[in-house]
Amino acid sequence: MRGKGVKSFFKKVYLYRAFLVMLLPAVAYTLIFSYYPMTGIVLAFKKYNYAGGIWGSPWNGLENFQFFFTSGQAGLVTKNTVLYNVVFIVLNAVVQIAVAVLLTELTSKAYRKITQSLMFLPYFISWVIVGIMAFNIFSSDYGFMNNIIQALGGEKILFYTTPQVWPFIIVFFNLWKNIGYGSVMYLAAIMGIDTSVYEAATIDGANVFQRIFRVTIPMIMPTTIILLLLSVGGIFKGNFDLFYNLVGTNGLLYNYTDVIDTLTFRALISSNNFGMASAIGLYQSVLCFVTVVVVNKLVSLYDKDYALF
Amino acid sequence: MKKQLKKAAALLLAAAMITGAAAGCSTAGQASSSGGTDAASAGDAASGETGAVDTSEKVELKMYLIGDRTPDFDEVYAEINKILEEEINATVSVDFLSWGEHETKYSLLFSGQEDFDLIFTASSWCHYEQTVALGGFEPLSEEFIQTYAPDIWEVVPEMAWEQAKINGTIYMVPNYANEFGQDVMAVRGDLMEQYGVEQITSWDEMKEFAMAAAADGMYTFQYGPWYQYFQTEGLSTLGGAPKSGELVLYNAQDPEDLDLYYILDWDGFADYCKQAKEMADAGCWSPDALNSTDERQTGLLTGRTAAMVWNLGSCLTYGRQANSENPDWNVTLCDPVAALPKKVNSYINNGVAININSQHKERAMMALNEFYTNPDVYDLAMLGIEGKHWEAVGDDQYRVLDESNYGVSNNCNWGWNNMTIQRTEYIEDRTALDDAYDAMMEEWNANVKGDHIYDGFNFDNTNVATQVAAVEANIDTYYNPLVNGLVEDVDATIEQFRQALEAAGIRDVLAEMERQASEYAASKQAA
Repeated sequence: MRGKGVKSFFKKVYLYRAFLVMLLPAVAYTLIFSYYPMTGIVLAFKKYNYAGGIWGSPWNGLENFQFFFTSGQAGLVTKNTVLYNVVFIVLNAVVQIAVAVLLTELTSKAYRKITQSLMFLPYFISWVIVGIMAFNIFSSDYGFMNNIIQALGGEKILFYTTPQVWPFIIVFFNLWKNIGYGSVMYLAAIMGIDTSVYEAATIDGANVFQRIFRVTIPMIMPTTIILLLLSVGGIFKGNFDLFYNLVGTNGLLYNYTDVIDTLTFRALISSNNFGMASAIGLYQSVLCFVTVVVVNKLVSLYDKDYALF
Repeated sequence: MKKQLKKAAALLLAAAMITGAAAGCSTAGQASSSGGTDAASAGDAASGETGAVDTSEKVELKMYLIGDRTPDFDEVYAEINKILEEEINATVSVDFLSWGEHETKYSLLFSGQEDFDLIFTASSWCHYEQTVALGGFEPLSEEFIQTYAPDIWEVVPEMAWEQAKINGTIYMVPNYANEFGQDVMAVRGDLMEQYGVEQITSWDEMKEFAMAAAADGMYTFQYGPWYQYFQTEGLSTLGGAPKSGELVLYNAQDPEDLDLYYILDWDGFADYCKQAKEMADAGCWSPDALNSTDERQTGLLTGRTAAMVWNLGSCLTYGRQANSENPDWNVTLCDPVAALPKKVNSYINNGVAININSQHKERAMMALNEFYTNPDVYDLAMLGIEGKHWEAVGDDQYRVLDESNYGVSNNCNWGWNNMTIQRTEYIEDRTALDDAYDAMMEEWNANVKGDHIYDGFNFDNTNVATQVAAVEANIDTYYNPLVNGLVEDVDATIEQFRQALEAAGIRDVLAEMERQASEYAASKQAA
């Protein structure tokens, strides 16, 4: 019985050899770039030095995690990170779907292509440049906004000393930068919908709105949920480039803009402490992992087919 | 169809094999490099026994410098290599870590076990203490230096070696040049006249000028003048303390005063913050100061600020540029801390270290000896090729011929600065600014402050790394706005700052610092 199983296994391997070979690069890639680096987690529990390297350095228990919690900022930055990410995820999904739907409803092909390209463009601009653009828009001396406000007879707004406006600015730039890239995914999903469904809907007398809300949106739900689940996987990771380039060392704004990654950067940049940096990475990853598993479970309770695993 | 599939499979297999081979390569490379170190240390022991310097084998050394490669750099170093090959049978190839990337890449060179021999380093601003703490540099024994770099041993003063010591061991060859650490101001002369400020030699005069400029709609500073304030009080930053030494100060002017001034326990900080707020509210600097990415000279050169705060040399350079572009500005130099003797920068502000994994430590030290003390090599590295980039004026001066592709002292040659053989610039059409510079330079050199024990002290934070990280995480939130006068309520913010740091464990850090400082002082006083 067992012998037969092994035999049929090898038979299958031989039979599907072409497919298995095609799978090989992906497997190798995952092993090398995803699983192998994971062994670096040990760094979080080590007092790292160059001589000992990753494996030879002495163990350090949980000491590397300590500074984060004694800093008194752990609660604030964790909260900020999660809230920003929740807003990013929800708002990005809503706007990207809306854009994708609108693009498919556009009849002029040339206009659609141009719009799509223009919306895609910000994705390629580095956050450093975005930071400089933001400074030129919001600075009090020569900023674009304040020039307009003053030209209209208003009073200058000192954006860089007014923390309350920054959540909006940050959310706006994040949205602006990702809108084109994200909507492509949804666009692809919409393109995959069988046109006969639309024909049937039209024959039944559905108007544009009914077509969108009764056909398009329900049909792209599986894609939407998978994309949402994937982005929930990073919910405890702050986008360092975004926050650091827009806010920099401006401590006045930190209550509203500090995330785990920027706090860790400030705490460790002068000491180059690899162990503590890894500890924070692990902290974020574990929380992300738990969140993904929980959310995935909730989704599968709602509808098994939508869940990732 | 089947044939095509086979072809595709073969291609993919090939791709996979290449990936595998590449991965294999990196591990093999690591193994061989660590093997090499063993061999080198074995050779070390052997040469120690005979005591002779064997240079029969030709060696190619690798050196890391900070900055960007100038267009003529390779040409100049080809000349240097000719001399090195003759003198010590070695050549040097140089790689650069750019200004933007050295913060992140410097430590990767060590953690990645990169194979190189020499590297530029500096206390606090270029990773000296961190790299030593993580064991990246070769410890340099006095015997080792005397054997392989006897000329350096002759030139470098004992004070410099003392400063380079961490827990009693030297890890870098410090540079030897009297570099003054205190910043001065390049100020618009026309505006001083307009506001009726005759001179700026003290904090009060500086503030008076800044307030007058603010009333006229001109900024004076890029950031709050916190350094000028505590320097006026005779204080200086303490090496290795949090926030680049700014959180804890010491009285550099009084060698008897061995107290550490934690700024939140010092009344001066609150006084400064209030004055800073007054100045910021008046408009002495931009309310966007914390987010500005302008370079220091931008404000002065574009006419947006009435002054620039920087070191003497840079103030002269950009003062000249501003004057040549706007002759009516009449930019001059002012020292807002004129009353006090001047502190010479610690000699470990520039230096060179040897990689602990280097396979040619002896030859690396010998090469450094040439860079440091051989006048021909020194002139090449600092000025470029004679006749192309510069020409000699007498024995100790130079005149620039073409600065565009190499530059003067512009190629990270600072690690082996040696003022005993360094040429100075010969200037033809002198201006009032040049005279002001020379006068100030002369005055300063005649008025160097006495040594303070803590000048060479460097706090080692390994025992309180957790508390230091927690403290650092909190500093910017309060400190940056306070120092730049951007808070609503100074007293309340200082109180929040104090509480945040207490919770983060600043007392542990201070206790450890006190302990190390008093031990250090005791060891110095005994010696």
